[in-house]
Amino acid sequence: MGNPDIFYVEDDPDYAFILETAIKEVKEELTVGIVEDGMLALTKLQALADSKYKPKLILLDLNLPGLSGLDVLKRIKEMPFLKYIPVILFSTSDDPKDVKDSYEYGANAYVTKPDGYNNLLDCLKSMHEFWFMQNRGIN
Amino acid sequence: MNKIDLTNCDREPIHIPGKIQSHGFLIAVDYANYNITYISENTSAIIGENATNLLQNPISIFFSSLFGNNEGTELTHLLSLGKSQGFDLINPYKLRIKEEAYYLIIHRSGDHLVLEFELATLQYDIQHIIGKAVSEILSNKSIDSLLQKAAEEVKNMIEYDRVMIYKFQEDDHGEVVAEVKNDDLEPFMGLHYPASDIPKQARELYKLNMTRIIADVNTESSPIATFEEGIPLDLTHSSLRAVSPIHIQYLKNMGVESSFSISLIAHGELWGLIACHNYSPKFIDYKAREGSKLIGNILSSALEYRQTEETNEHDQLYQTAVTALFTNLEKDPNIVTALTSHSTTLLDATSATGVAILFEKKVHTLGNVPNATQLESLLNWLKLTVKDSVYYTHQLSATYKPAEAFADVGSGILVSLLSKDMGELIVWFKQEKLQTINWAGNPEKPAEKGADGIMQLSPRNSFASFAEIVKNTANRWSKAEISGTIKLREKINNTINKRADEIRLLNERLKLAYEELDTFSYTISHDLRTPLTSIKSYTELYIAKNKNVEDPNKKLLDRVLVGADKMRFLIDEILKLARVGRAELELSKIDAELMIADTVQTVISAFKAENVAVIIEDCPMVDGDATLIGQVFTNIISNAIKYSTKSANPKVTIKGIVESGEVIYSVADNGIGIEIDHHDKVFELFRRMENVKDFEGTGVGLSIVKRIMDKHNGRVWFESELNKGTTFYLAFKKL
Repeated sequence: MGNPDIFYVEDDPDYAFILETAIKEVKEELTVGIVEDGMLALTKLQALADSKYKPKLILLDLNLPGLSGLDVLKRIKEMPFLKYIPVILFSTSDDPKDVKDSYEYGANAYVTKPDGYNNLLDCLKSMHEFWFMQNRGIN
Repeated sequence: MNKIDLTNCDREPIHIPGKIQSHGFLIAVDYANYNITYISENTSAIIGENATNLLQNPISIFFSSLFGNNEGTELTHLLSLGKSQGFDLINPYKLRIKEEAYYLIIHRSGDHLVLEFELATLQYDIQHIIGKAVSEILSNKSIDSLLQKAAEEVKNMIEYDRVMIYKFQEDDHGEVVAEVKNDDLEPFMGLHYPASDIPKQARELYKLNMTRIIADVNTESSPIATFEEGIPLDLTHSSLRAVSPIHIQYLKNMGVESSFSISLIAHGELWGLIACHNYSPKFIDYKAREGSKLIGNILSSALEYRQTEETNEHDQLYQTAVTALFTNLEKDPNIVTALTSHSTTLLDATSATGVAILFEKKVHTLGNVPNATQLESLLNWLKLTVKDSVYYTHQLSATYKPAEAFADVGSGILVSLLSKDMGELIVWFKQEKLQTINWAGNPEKPAEKGADGIMQLSPRNSFASFAEIVKNTANRWSKAEISGTIKLREKINNTINKRADEIRLLNERLKLAYEELDTFSYTISHDLRTPLTSIKSYTELYIAKNKNVEDPNKKLLDRVLVGADKMRFLIDEILKLARVGRAELELSKIDAELMIADTVQTVISAFKAENVAVIIEDCPMVDGDATLIGQVFTNIISNAIKYSTKSANPKVTIKGIVESGEVIYSVADNGIGIEIDHHDKVFELFRRMENVKDFEGTGVGLSIVKRIMDKHNGRVWFESELNKGTTFYLAFKKL
């Protein structure tokens, strides 16, 4: 995986592929590291932390096999090295309960997965603008 | 003589008349010393001096003077023998007085021995006749032929003009159930007599003294002389006992000059009588009377046995019917048809001629029942009056006067109250007793009036008075009928309860299934979004990467995107609907004014409906779950705006009023309206009206509104006219 700018946990390889494509379209140089389940995500993140590398952004799908996105979020916020990395919950669900829970667990943002490639592209552009350009200081 | 009518009969002390019939004579002696205590005055003619002179003298003097010393002493010994061995051994003792054959018959009455002398008239031995008669009688199987044969045999033996068998019914009235008579006589078969025709104390005597002869109604009775003033001799067991003047009159009215009766006893009770009438004086020899008595005894035991058998047969029939109804109730899911529409019905469970069942507010009837109006009134009365689970009467009109109008079908009723609360019951009807009576002779023949204008006692007049007494009366309900219906009621109620439990269970399963359906809809919709997103995303990505795709092919891909969008919209709506079922309400005070203003703005921009004038009037606060109520306003307001965009001067008015514990919002538009035929389908899922083809929609929105309002215990309804507009009302409960 190397040291990705964006750490993305997603069990749907199709959506992972679409998202990676869209990110490359936003900015060619951005790298995306994709893992397919929560356990693996925590292992990788621990490895990154051990090597003192901080991804710029973590994207978490909510519904994951095994550990859920919320579980992963909670563990990240318990890891001192990683707790200040912005975590965005990125889910198909628009259930208000999911949104509420995510913020309670310390999510920096909750984004309902945009519908279709064009919307996703728009969404990622504004995300990039917000997290990478305007709020550089966070990292 | 006192006036003779039926009212003073009951009080007459007929066992101590102080007189005997004059076809014999009577002497009573002290039980201990055989001194004469009573003597009938007609004894004078036999002994040739005033009989009263013999009073207080030893009986031996009387015996010796009449039969000589030897036989006199023998007779005195006879009394002692009878006292130690029983007088049945001696009776009748044959002797001759002045060349005539007499029987002496002795019995004990209190402190006295009663010696009765009567003529012995029978020329032949009756023993073999009796034996033959008994075997003839017993060869019959049914009660009817048994009785008929017995009547025939008795007539043969005593040679009276008419021999009838009376049966006493449960209310003590009598019915002629068998008759043998000379051809020239009018038949009495089937006639009924009121209980008062044979008064109570007479019945008691019939039970104690099994035969009774009245040899000649025209002779004067002979008084019994005694020195014991004021202590009459008890003649209960006497065969010479004088007849009540009332009874004599009764017989005379019928033209009867002598009568004979034999008691029939079953289970210790007077079952009936073999009543024999002769239209001229006719004495019956003691041995013939004893023969008849034997026939009576044998008939009695046969009746006792066969009656038990026949009662058991009836009970058995009712029992079988009840059992069959049990089976019907098990098999037939419909309680009413189980009881009324199979080969065995409620009618078979009793002797009733009609039955009505009131169940689930509907009346079903079988057989002869009162007409609909009468039945309805009766059922209403029963619902109010009947408190116990079973109520029965054989004289309904005594407690419920209107029953007189339908006495022909319902003089008696048996009510089984299934449920007091539900007003559910079964009523069996029995017809008036009169309807079941076999008339004999000419029933139209008028009752005869005597010279004094008082109705004369006669069988015909008796029948008329009987008819008065039994008017509006049915036969009584038997124990078997009542206990059968009690069992049936229990079974019906068990069945009803079982059904109710089954329904409750089904209801719970249905609830569970409904919840599962919500979960299912939610999950499936949710999971469908992911592949759908892939379809759309890959399609868009393909188009983006292939900017040079030729126009016609690009159009095909555009259609894929349109389809995906439609599907996405539909899935989102179903998700919302399913979420209502799963959601826990989070109630709060909602600033409806703000919510509505926001909603209107969003909807107008979404539909690009700036041409629609939206007027927002008073918007009171609403109690509810903000998210869900928001969906309600969104759906209703967007419908109003959407369906009026194409009207001229489109206008939507939104306002709320507070009214008796509710906040009622109305959202009125001047849009396309809803056809009246579709009014009840509007809230159904996926239901879209014909006139909305040109508008986007899924047919889920109003279902969501309905579910949310239901969940809030609120109400939603609408008024609409096609092409004029629609007004939706939302009523929220104030907390």
